[in-house]
Amino acid sequence: MLRIISNLRLLNSFPENMHNCQPVRWRRKPMWLPTAKSKVFRVPPRPQISEEEDNELKRLNNNYRTAMNSIRRYLTNRYSVKLQAKADTEQLKKAFEEDLARCKAINDEWNAELEKVRNERIAKQLEEDIKFAENRKLELLKREEEMLAQAEEIVRKEKELVGTFITPEMLDEAIENAINNPVDYNFAIDLEGNKILGRETTPVEKAQVKQ
Amino acid sequence: MLPPSSGIGQFAATSAKVIRFVRAGCTNRPFYHIVVAERRREQFEPVIEQVGSYDPMPNANNEKLVSLNLERISYWIGNGAGCSGPVEELLGLAGYFPIHPRSYMTAWRNRRKADEEAAAKEKADDSNEEKSETSSSV
Repeated sequence: MLRIISNLRLLNSFPENMHNCQPVRWRRKPMWLPTAKSKVFRVPPRPQISEEEDNELKRLNNNYRTAMNSIRRYLTNRYSVKLQAKADTEQLKKAFEEDLARCKAINDEWNAELEKVRNERIAKQLEEDIKFAENRKLELLKREEEMLAQAEEIVRKEKELVGTFITPEMLDEAIENAINNPVDYNFAIDLEGNKILGRETTPVEKAQVKQ
Repeated sequence: MLPPSSGIGQFAATSAKVIRFVRAGCTNRPFYHIVVAERRREQFEPVIEQVGSYDPMPNANNEKLVSLNLERISYWIGNGAGCSGPVEELLGLAGYFPIHPRSYMTAWRNRRKADEEAAAKEKADDSNEEKSETSSSV
């Protein structure tokens, strides 16, 4: 790895006029050369580990891992900054309670202020409501009076009319009167806008009424 | 130039850390720093912290010297750092971890090889003696 990095570094740091220089510090061939022809088909021998040795190594490794896990856990419990911060529950609880008390004080203050404002607002609202209700009551009374007056007026007019009603006793007389006095509602209008009453009247008679 | 061992490496809180060797010697003279680094970093990038050193060449008294900052190693392992294989072996030999299986394997293979060599040598010696005896008798 070191060799490769060094090669790269040398490559990058080569000045323009030093292309023909061959670095001799890392004597092995440069990384861009292929595998040597004599080594292309070489198969390196696999390590021969007997079954007995393999089993022994497995046993040792298992024991080692178990022991290391245990040591690591012990050291974590003893030295871990995070765990210590977490384990310090009393401190945390105290801090939490202090924070809570502070928050509560602020909240109480706000509540007191708001209560004052709210009471003012409610009192004002109540006053307005009472005023409104009184006004409504007055208006209602006034309207009732007006209605009553209107009704009285109607009754009075009807009473006035009562004298002109045709009663059964007066019926013959009324019929006679109607026959004796025929009323002609027809009329005509000439070019000047004069209204000429009556069906039979002629314009010469000059029954003119300027409108 | 190697970055300082004091540990100037930038690292993320949640990234995987590993305790491993950094080769700090020179040509034909290996020397290793045992460091905590982010696993995805390369060998010679700045490290998080150096926790020891290892000199694999025996000194005049035939000793391979190792220094370990066990407190920091405990701290880092407790906070989720892993160990590379060679470091695990070394810590096993130091008595901090259990002995690594590879250490056992190397040991018994070396022993077996030594035994075989000794047996071969004995055999050779015996055959030589027999030869000399036969030659003397003749």
